[in-house]
Amino acid sequence: MIEAQGLTKVYGDKTAVGGVNFTVQAGQVTGFLGPNGAGKSTTMRMIMGLDTPTAGTVTVNGVPFARHVAPLREIGALLDAKAVHTSRSAYNHLLAMAATHSIPKKRVHEVIEMTGLADVARKKVKGFSLGMGQRLGIAAALLGDPQTIILDEPVNGLDPEGVVWVRNLVKFLASEGRTVFLSSHLMSEMALTADHLIVIGRGRIIADAPIRDIITGKGQSRTRVRTDQPNQLMHALAGAGVSVEVQDYELLEVKGLDPRQIARAALDNHVMVYELTPLQASLEEAYMELTKDEVEYHSLITTGAPVPAQSGGHQS
Amino acid sequence: MSSTTLDSTPSRRGAHAANGAPSGGPGRPAGAGIGPGPTFLRVLNSEFIKFRTLLSTLILLASTAVVMVGFGALSAWGTGQFADAAGSDPQAAEAIAAQGGDLAVTVPTSGIAFAQLILGSLGVLLMSSEFTTGMARSTFAAVPKRIPAFIAKLVVVMVSAFLLTAVSTYVAGLVSVPILDNYGLKLDLGSSQSVKLLLVNSAYVAAVAAIGMALGTLIRNSAGGIMSLVGLFFVAPIAFQLIPGDFFVEARKYLPGNTINPLTAVEHVPETLEVWQAALVLGAWVLVPVVLAMVLLKKRDV
Repeated sequence: MIEAQGLTKVYGDKTAVGGVNFTVQAGQVTGFLGPNGAGKSTTMRMIMGLDTPTAGTVTVNGVPFARHVAPLREIGALLDAKAVHTSRSAYNHLLAMAATHSIPKKRVHEVIEMTGLADVARKKVKGFSLGMGQRLGIAAALLGDPQTIILDEPVNGLDPEGVVWVRNLVKFLASEGRTVFLSSHLMSEMALTADHLIVIGRGRIIADAPIRDIITGKGQSRTRVRTDQPNQLMHALAGAGVSVEVQDYELLEVKGLDPRQIARAALDNHVMVYELTPLQASLEEAYMELTKDEVEYHSLITTGAPVPAQSGGHQS
Repeated sequence: MSSTTLDSTPSRRGAHAANGAPSGGPGRPAGAGIGPGPTFLRVLNSEFIKFRTLLSTLILLASTAVVMVGFGALSAWGTGQFADAAGSDPQAAEAIAAQGGDLAVTVPTSGIAFAQLILGSLGVLLMSSEFTTGMARSTFAAVPKRIPAFIAKLVVVMVSAFLLTAVSTYVAGLVSVPILDNYGLKLDLGSSQSVKLLLVNSAYVAAVAAIGMALGTLIRNSAGGIMSLVGLFFVAPIAFQLIPGDFFVEARKYLPGNTINPLTAVEHVPETLEVWQAALVLGAWVLVPVVLAMVLLKKRDV
């Protein structure tokens, strides 16, 4: 369990993290989501005791990281894929890390196997692709078989097979009762991986809730309706708080009514409906909704509506 | 390769079980006997693994040995030539007499100025590269108290600098003996003066390497650290000589690079520090940057 209380980091006159409070529970995957420069990496470095908070505290299983008797056996972290001397081989890097905690060589070989690095373990890290670097970082994080795992952007640069591997890995680790804290800017990936989301923007926590609550809480639920009498149905549905959008020939999208209410209205007005599908807001939409005021670096090109093409496509 | 190989070691799983609640829990006992965490010996072992697994480190060590032995041989030849000339030149003969007649004894340590430069730079690099590569984040995540990792690295740096200088000096001596012999000069590697020179010079190079490592920790940049080291040991003595004024003449004696002569002199040379003074000054030159480096390493963000 990771607990942050009033955690603050100020660089000069810039507040990177402004007094955040959150708790990362064991036994589930907690996603840490936020735009660039929101304070995700700074927060993670403070958890690992690499950056000293300007104010506030953060503890892992009740104790500040640096006070743990065996830090690597308590928390494993991938903070930066290239937190490695690139002239050293992956094996030697892991061996040196393991030596600090007297972790046996056997375990070093295990994490190398586990992360699929066996073929390149004896090569210098210099020649590694970004994905291989990520795998090495994950191998280092798992070295001490820690109870708490922190991964900063673990799927960055991974190929699709690697992405699926990380997803299964973190779910497996959480299912063993471990605390898994994962940052990513890939919202679709979060939707598939995380159970709980902490959303940060401009150094403040904007949302801290189960992922399902975030998706349903923000972005109104919508219903896709196909009917051969769209005009009559639109007429029947019209009312306060209801908006109907014609998306295609005989295809409507209704906001503000649930499918049951739509079916009732259609039945009352003798309109035949041949599709009635509840649509969930995608995580992207929920996220954009949450962070629209918090984005540190606004893009110059305004993309308008925050609805990517695969809206709802990833939802179960 | 795939998620099916995720099962962790039975032994480690067992260790978790032995430690009680799966959530770890605060104040988990260190366990009987050897604790699971970073003891100093383990950190020392880790730093030694890091030291020996970098090709660049091994190259610097090898070049130091080559330079030391090469300069020893060159110096043996030059000294022999000089002694030969002294046979017909009364001035040279006087110069030899002033040295107590023992020209040969300093031959094995002729390359020391280069050894201190290379091994001092190695000291800088071993720490600065931690920061330039990002390795520091791994190092200090494993040893969050930081100071044990610093001291372990310092021990590795100083011991290796000492041993390498001592061994290279001895090999340089072995190479020099037959060369000097050709000119009728005797070099006894077992004499007390030879042994003293070997030990003092090796300790001096270890001190320079420690200063280098402290600079690397403070500056966190390889080029900047090496430039500072070169500035301190090579530029400052010359600059202090060029600037007129009694203050600089006096201050020059206290530069770290100028402590080696009084430390190795057979007899006290006027206008230099006494042996004990030189030892204290060099000690201060090591201690102050090292302590400052440790304080700031503990305080600064990685």
